Amino acid sequence: MIDIRHLSLWYGRSHRVLSDINATIVRWRRVVICGASGSGKSSLLRCINGLERFQEGTVHVNGANIQDPKVDIHRVRAGIGMVFQHFELYPHMTVLENICLSPIYVLKKKRTEAEKKAETLLTQVGLLEKRNSYPAMLSGGQQQRVAIARALAMDPEVMLFDEPTSALDPEMIQEVLDVMIDLARAGMTMVVVTHEMGFARQVADEIIYMDQGRIIEKNDVAQFFDHPQNERTRQFLDRIIR
Amino acid sequence: MDLEVVTRNAGFMLGGLYLTCQLAALAIAGGLAWGTILAVARLSRQCWLSLPAVAYIHFFRGLPLILVIFWLYFLTPVITGQKLNEFAAAALSFVVYEAAYFAEIVRAGIQSVPKGQTMAGLAAGLTAFQLMRHVILPQAVRNMRPSIVTHAVVIFQDTSLAYVIGLREFLRRVNLVDAREARSVELYLFAGLVYFCLCAAGTMAGRYLEYRRFQGEAH
Repeated sequence: MIDIRHLSLWYGRSHRVLSDINATIVRWRRVVICGASGSGKSSLLRCINGLERFQEGTVHVNGANIQDPKVDIHRVRAGIGMVFQHFELYPHMTVLENICLSPIYVLKKKRTEAEKKAETLLTQVGLLEKRNSYPAMLSGGQQQRVAIARALAMDPEVMLFDEPTSALDPEMIQEVLDVMIDLARAGMTMVVVTHEMGFARQVADEIIYMDQGRIIEKNDVAQFFDHPQNERTRQFLDRIIR
Repeated sequence: MDLEVVTRNAGFMLGGLYLTCQLAALAIAGGLAWGTILAVARLSRQCWLSLPAVAYIHFFRGLPLILVIFWLYFLTPVITGQKLNEFAAAALSFVVYEAAYFAEIVRAGIQSVPKGQTMAGLAAGLTAFQLMRHVILPQAVRNMRPSIVTHAVVIFQDTSLAYVIGLREFLRRVNLVDAREARSVELYLFAGLVYFCLCAAGTMAGRYLEYRRFQGEAH
């Protein structure tokens, strides 16, 4: 469903962030992207929904070339949920309003319908009683769960997670991972940038390891952990799983 | 000191205050609305939007307000063949001129909203307009409330400049009474007191808003 071909991205003239990325994300599969900071993982994720404009290559989402001016990028984005490292809830809106904004204005749903769906999703992430709270009144873990519910409210075909637990206190990481594990079990197509290797082993079908803007290794999860092909991957795993 | 001259003419003078307030309200509301449009245009990536906005803002910020009032009052009839009445000319001048200042306040407000909010809104399928309307501007307005109040107070004082085209607002009326009564000291002290009280009230309202904002962020 997502097809990335020969993708290269520069910041300015000289700083090359991504080099010749090729990857296919198949429907119903969970792909985890890992690698050191600055290896281009987050940039790659932002290229998928057109938040980052790249200079070379193509990204097709369900057959639509996202940098084609004829393609309605808003419509493509509406079908792709995204969760950010720093949650990015709208601070001036309640939890419920946060979740309902895009369904109402992008999907043109009725408010009552959108709110009903939002309440179902909040129940799913265990935060129904917080529906009238403002984001500032929630813990980091709760905010991130709301952010996940907000993305799910659009009925996305795929969810992108950009280091969803990196900004959280350690004791809150698991509650967010649990929500993501549930989502994976429910069959959601997911692309997750994370350093949580335990989570990766548990839910991923495929792992992509990136370094300096290149894909170094792309493999099934078992192969990746037990028989890494590349020397750098081996070093990375040694460092992480100690 | 003959304070009786003030009480005797208070009705007439304060009647001008009504006009002053009307002018200030129009200037603030119109200037803010037009200024917001200019600010959004200025920040646009489309240069056919941003360049004219930048030019407009720099142009009017580089002119004295009094000149703009004269221009609108004396040049409009030349261009359109239709004479603007004093109030319309003054109100229009204020909107056109103050919008340039409000535009810079609003621009700073918009830029104070973290980039991640834009990312989040766009990722959720919002168009640039919806993003501005529902996500960015509400947060920006919150951040810039104190600056808006400060500038509104300045505009209130500046409305007195409308007297140059003969608009009988508050200061003009004080001026007229003085011409009749020849009591400059009492009358202008009174005018000063009125302006001071109203502006102080405005500033205090602004402080209160700022205080409430901090309270709001605390929890």
